[in-house]
Amino acid sequence: MTLPEGATTATGEREYLVDVRTQDMEVNMGPQHPATHGVMKILIRCNGELVTGAQPQLGFLHRCAEKIGENVEWLQYLPYTDRYDYLAAMNNNLGYSMAVEALMDIEIPRRAEMIRVICAELNRIGSHLIAIGTYGIDLGAFTPFLYMFREREWMMALFEKICGARLTYSYIRIGGVFNDAPPGWLSEVERFCDTFEKAWREYYDLLMMNQIFIKRTADVGVIPREMALDFGLTGPMLRGSAIDWDIRRDMPYSIYGEIWEDGAFKIPLGSGEMGTLGDCWDRAWVRITEMMESVKIVRWCLDRIEPGPVIADIPKVLRVPAGEAYVGIENPRGELGHYLLSDGGKIPLRCRVRGPSFSNLAVLEALLPGTLLADAVAIIGSTDIVVGETDR
Amino acid sequence: MDFQGIHDHLRAIEAPGLTGFDEPRKPNPEVKKDPGRAGDPYVIVDAPLLPDFLMVCREDPRLAFEILVDLSAVDPSKDDENLWVVCSLLSLTHKHRLAIKSFLPKESPVMPTSTTVHRAAQWHERECAEMFGITFERHPDPRHMLLPDDWVGYPLRKDYEFPEEYHGISCT
Repeated sequence: MTLPEGATTATGEREYLVDVRTQDMEVNMGPQHPATHGVMKILIRCNGELVTGAQPQLGFLHRCAEKIGENVEWLQYLPYTDRYDYLAAMNNNLGYSMAVEALMDIEIPRRAEMIRVICAELNRIGSHLIAIGTYGIDLGAFTPFLYMFREREWMMALFEKICGARLTYSYIRIGGVFNDAPPGWLSEVERFCDTFEKAWREYYDLLMMNQIFIKRTADVGVIPREMALDFGLTGPMLRGSAIDWDIRRDMPYSIYGEIWEDGAFKIPLGSGEMGTLGDCWDRAWVRITEMMESVKIVRWCLDRIEPGPVIADIPKVLRVPAGEAYVGIENPRGELGHYLLSDGGKIPLRCRVRGPSFSNLAVLEALLPGTLLADAVAIIGSTDIVVGETDR
Repeated sequence: MDFQGIHDHLRAIEAPGLTGFDEPRKPNPEVKKDPGRAGDPYVIVDAPLLPDFLMVCREDPRLAFEILVDLSAVDPSKDDENLWVVCSLLSLTHKHRLAIKSFLPKESPVMPTSTTVHRAAQWHERECAEMFGITFERHPDPRHMLLPDDWVGYPLRKDYEFPEEYHGISCT
């Protein structure tokens, strides 16, 4: 039989698998499967243990976010943004608010920018904790997940204190943030950072340096540079293949430009340390390292935050000037883009959402064929999708 | 490069399909009720030549738009006779973006697929096709993306009528 391209590793260790030829079988992975991280189906065609074709099928969680956007007022749409990437709702709020602000002429108060960045980065930590933790579960390591939930729980408690919600915040508003941080909140964030830095070391040793984890992820699901660009990957998927791109640094928004020039954070890139450049381990490593960089950004803000107003003067019924704008920001999963079109009225004419998971998921069609069925789970986990965002 | 630089360069290399551009402007105080335009500048490209245009944008070393970030469509209003197809390109090398707009008549919304240039376009086009009824010629996988296969109508068109029921499930 002829092998699909990429079926054999450089060392040739998978050749033995094709000794036995069986009939092609189609397996539905999902819609209810723990490794799909939501309600998603992947139709996998396999020959024995070898995957010969894969077809993600979406739409199980489609909630018509874009259509709703054309029927509600600008401010009313904000809670819907929480619901596409529900693990990083703060970042979604920020992306939408910034897209609306790009059409309007508003100056955001300095303190609001600081709180925005603190919340977005805390949420990035929480999101990556889930990403790494559930990735461990996919590969059979249950313990790190439970440890990581300990820190994530604290992160959610912090958000509960500042805005009252644990998952869907709607805290970052057009023009600033909803309310000021309560007394003592900022010092608690500092305590969280101190604790998290110690805990991070544990997670790194417990999961990333675990020999079984390395064996399962190194050399698996290698994304070459060309493939990453062709599929429009963004975020850790791109940086795992050592493509040096982060919107926070390269097209700075909010106060990230200032933070970068101060040298407060770095952009971790995949290095192929454990296997091939761009493999699953590299992507997981980029995520776990990014968490520490987020802590540094939070600390930078905590050192410099000063009292002041937290929201610009925004009318209750917002009328956005006619025009159109695309604003992309760096979400934990990649570039979250909002394309908004206004005719000067109270309601958007078009509210397009470009979710990073959507584009990142498309690469599976090219990545899965030629791998083993067991590795398919490792590869799907490494794309770190949130189905709420792919389906919107 | 800023937008002006990109546009001038596209003119200089005679990029296929480039017909014009639009920039944000302040409201003109002399014209009554002139709303002006806010937001981003964009270039206007002929829809049948969009794939060629994307190819030029990617291959030209001074533009180097490696990533197709987004491809989507807009139905501006019920009375408008055109749909818009909007793309967003990103260059990692030069750190610039470009917004592209093409017009498609609602009577025959057919255009060639851009999948041959950017595979990222494949899923975006599938979504566009089901939501707006645009046909992408020679698309490798023209199935529905998010909607059920038997869904009637194009939901993001402004003249879309909400169904009463779907397979006996009430929608109201």
